[in-house]
Amino acid sequence: MSSFAFMQRAFVATTVLSFSVAPVGAFLVLRRLSLAGEAMAHAITPGIVIGFALAGLSVTSLLVGGLIAGVGVAALASLLARRTILRSDASLASLYLIALALGIFLLSAAGSAVPLQSFLFGSILGIDDPSLILLGSVATVTLVSFAVLLRPLIISTCDPVFFESQTRRPWLVEQGFMLLLVLNLLAAFKTLGTLMAVGLMILPATAARYWAHTITGQLWLGLVFALSSCWVGLTLSFLFPETPSGPAIVLVAGCLFLVSVLLGPLGFGSQIYSPSRGEGGNVPQGAAGGRM
Amino acid sequence: MSAILQIHNLALGYPTLTLFRQLSFSIEPGTTVAVLGANGSGKSTFIKLLLGLVSPLSGELHWPRGRPAEIGYLAQMAEFDRRFPIRVRDLVSMGAWQRFDLWSGLNRSKRCRVGAALEDAGIQALADRPLHTLSGGQLQRALFARVMVQDSPLILLDEPFDGVDQSTEEHLLSIIQRWRSEGRAVVMVVHDLSSVLDHCNKVLLLGNGEATYGTVESVLTADRLVAQGYFSVSQAAWMLSGPEVKPVNGGV
Repeated sequence: MSSFAFMQRAFVATTVLSFSVAPVGAFLVLRRLSLAGEAMAHAITPGIVIGFALAGLSVTSLLVGGLIAGVGVAALASLLARRTILRSDASLASLYLIALALGIFLLSAAGSAVPLQSFLFGSILGIDDPSLILLGSVATVTLVSFAVLLRPLIISTCDPVFFESQTRRPWLVEQGFMLLLVLNLLAAFKTLGTLMAVGLMILPATAARYWAHTITGQLWLGLVFALSSCWVGLTLSFLFPETPSGPAIVLVAGCLFLVSVLLGPLGFGSQIYSPSRGEGGNVPQGAAGGRM
Repeated sequence: MSAILQIHNLALGYPTLTLFRQLSFSIEPGTTVAVLGANGSGKSTFIKLLLGLVSPLSGELHWPRGRPAEIGYLAQMAEFDRRFPIRVRDLVSMGAWQRFDLWSGLNRSKRCRVGAALEDAGIQALADRPLHTLSGGQLQRALFARVMVQDSPLILLDEPFDGVDQSTEEHLLSIIQRWRSEGRAVVMVVHDLSSVLDHCNKVLLLGNGEATYGTVESVLTADRLVAQGYFSVSQAAWMLSGPEVKPVNGGV
């Protein structure tokens, strides 16, 4: 398997992607934005289709079209939530549905020119140099941004009112995080497709949530689960050639999630680890730990 | 001693609703101000005004010593995510967040301050417990410890005794008393009049479009409490027939 160049590239791409999407996924889950991530994945569709129609299926058209659509929808949803009666979930849902319908309309209008299979499920086994560079760049930007934003992100997620009271520009963290989300969706889109892009963000993070008592544990376990999903999923799709690699990766992540639900100390596994319930919760000490 | 904050002709509210107007007073060091009022009278909005999170309709806030770099703040418990994966020690450390270096963690003196705050709040044994295993009272003690780490001359508490038991409330009130003796000003939204009488020396009463500020004796009269919608007439009659309203720790 390792002698095939396309498999080597796929392993490198998904490894880099895992380092990038794992922390974004962790905070999507912790900020209760899991479904917003899914919505944003669909919201970037019209931008990508328009970019494709104007400049072909290139990394530049994907990046520019997707960024404009993603940032536009996020900014508009934020504006509606702040200035009108709608809450952020309803405003984002409304806008992403419009964007998705527009994307499908444009996709149909473009006809057979758009490689639909690649659009829906990605093309991880046929990834080219520009796409690898895109993945590497997005991962670098994401990890450097997290190094700077980690503490503000933790505080604004755990206690948003306290965070607002302690900083003059609290919106910088929120908008910066949404920008990272859009960038990572675009990177994941290229490898996993529009339907599976969020899977590698959310499932490893929700699986890790059942094991980790601290944010450090959550981030590391999310990364381990994402990497495991990619490596096992790619191996399965190599061993069973009819298996599409994107869905295989997300299905492995789904299996890890189900195992975590059943065995994790913060899931049903609490009954295995601790038959007697402690004060204020049903959680034993000593699961994956770390400090802020 | 100069005031920490002077408020001049303040009007607070929203474009379609004025909560109160023409409020002027000063907050001196060592003052404990109770903010009282019926639901919707603007108590939490007033706290958010002091934090700079909302703007007044008119009037101004003047900080004679300059606005403190940090204002100690304890928000209502409902706005807090108790399931966030973090340990008690890390929650308390958030109080020193603005003084963290970009890449490094807490230095020795800050770690000592966090340890002292945990001890003062009576939760040192819980320092390594995950947040979601704490009871409501234990979490409130942890949030008080975070305020201690902030080390601010002005402390704002929004319903600090909401959902805590009597012994925890006593402990938290003793911490507030110590802050007062250290010369810090404390502004707290409360509902229970007994904690006002025992531990506050000033009262800001909000309601029915008015704001009244003064000593406990001058503000907490039955007529005024009824006029500003804090008590009904029957509640005020019961209050007048009960024990005399008298602050224990001075009404200076």
